[in-house]
Amino acid sequence: MLRRFYMKAAFAPCILAILLGSVVFAAPIVNGNGRPPRAVFLVLPDDIEPPKVSLQVEPFAQGKYRVQIDTTEFQFTDICVAQAQAAPIGHAHVHVNGAKVASAYQPVVLIGPLAPGEHVIDVVLRGQDHRAILGRTGLVQGTVEVFVPQQPV
Amino acid sequence: MHFRTFAWRFIATISFLVILATSADAHEAWLLTPSEIEELSVAPIPPLFRSRLFLGIAATMGFAVSLFALRLEASITQLEDRLIAPFSRGFADVAPLFLRLGLASMLLLAAFGGLPRHGTSMWTTPTFLVPDMQLVGIALAGALTLVQLIVGFLLLLGLLTRICGAALVGFSMLGLAVFGSAFGSYGLHFAGPGLIVIALGGGRFSLDQAFHSDLGQKVAFRSRKFLWRGAQILIGIGFVYLGIAYKLLQPTLLIAILEHGEMPTFGLPMPVVALVMTGVEILCGALLVLGRLVRPVALAILGAITFLAVVLGETPLFHANLYGALLAMLLIGRHLPLPFGSVQFRRVRVA
Repeated sequence: MLRRFYMKAAFAPCILAILLGSVVFAAPIVNGNGRPPRAVFLVLPDDIEPPKVSLQVEPFAQGKYRVQIDTTEFQFTDICVAQAQAAPIGHAHVHVNGAKVASAYQPVVLIGPLAPGEHVIDVVLRGQDHRAILGRTGLVQGTVEVFVPQQPV
Repeated sequence: MHFRTFAWRFIATISFLVILATSADAHEAWLLTPSEIEELSVAPIPPLFRSRLFLGIAATMGFAVSLFALRLEASITQLEDRLIAPFSRGFADVAPLFLRLGLASMLLLAAFGGLPRHGTSMWTTPTFLVPDMQLVGIALAGALTLVQLIVGFLLLLGLLTRICGAALVGFSMLGLAVFGSAFGSYGLHFAGPGLIVIALGGGRFSLDQAFHSDLGQKVAFRSRKFLWRGAQILIGIGFVYLGIAYKLLQPTLLIAILEHGEMPTFGLPMPVVALVMTGVEILCGALLVLGRLVRPVALAILGAITFLAVVLGETPLFHANLYGALLAMLLIGRHLPLPFGSVQFRRVRVA
């Protein structure tokens, strides 16, 4: 009997209608909470104090730069997991002019060499599954501008 | 095939893979800049994705188009057969070759770290099948890398091909065990092609043909219908899942990625483009699960991922598993015809 129903022309439209109907019913419930995409953000619970980030950048040998990432309420670790707990533990992604250049598993990281000119260095704290940490005050990140002279320091 | 010819083809393939890998880029969330991530964190979900009225209208339109296409399926199939007929003699050779090379390239590059996660240096960190699954700090990382490497080389050579197909199905389950639900987005799109590899074997341009080493041929021949339909179902479910979990329920992420890649919208608002993409992915996946309009669906998905790859400037290697599988579906259609199993089967028996 099932086979006969399957062979009937109405089977596929029925399944499509059920699928689309379920989607139309369920999607507004999930999307209605307005949360940021969970594939990108690790949202900390409100009772956890969001970390703070400040950056210090110093010239290093061979045109490289040493970025010191000072954080509060955050623990660096080099252990990555597929699905992290919502906790301020993880590493940092270092971006120069918007492009990711390094992952920092400890508070000090070397980047560069950088081309002469102005550069904006952004550091975004990430959870152990690489998602960006989002506290109640927003994205946890630090930014600093660096000017690289023509002659390497 | 002469050894020298084979060696040249092998070297050329490896070189081609390395060249492709050097331009690696992806439509992952990791591409977004910090300012884009900051904007995304506060981006409101468009009303189009929150309203049952709008979603209902969109779903009704999608349903109507699907219904219309299903009504025309018989005539479309006749047209497909006429169009495909001139190439039909090459089916048994081309489809397995593309599938093998696509899968082999992903496995080998992943094992060598040549398909790294965005922002990770090339050739430094091996990954498991896809860039996101880094083999760092994971038990048996070395063993996983080695097994990937072996299966990749065997697929490239076309040696013990059907066994490699079974290994791919195993990888998709292993990935879930090792990486958990994060691997869920990828597993089905390796298990499905794995079943196709088992069903089709290595094809003419493989060492299995030269050495008569096509292990598992009898079993594959007997269960070819199950394998072929199974592959359609797994790949279809994969698309439905991705469409719902990553596009429909995270629309701001899709919109941010499209805006980052400066995707042409042809004058349409970006949420409308995102909703159309979402609908196409879900409906195409569902039709594959149902085994209906297989060739048009395969063509539509191939076109869509190729368009996205070109627009976003990403390497085709990120979808190499799907290119081969969808090409096989485009060439073969809903039912796997006998020549795939029987001709090769007879050849081996005679030998």
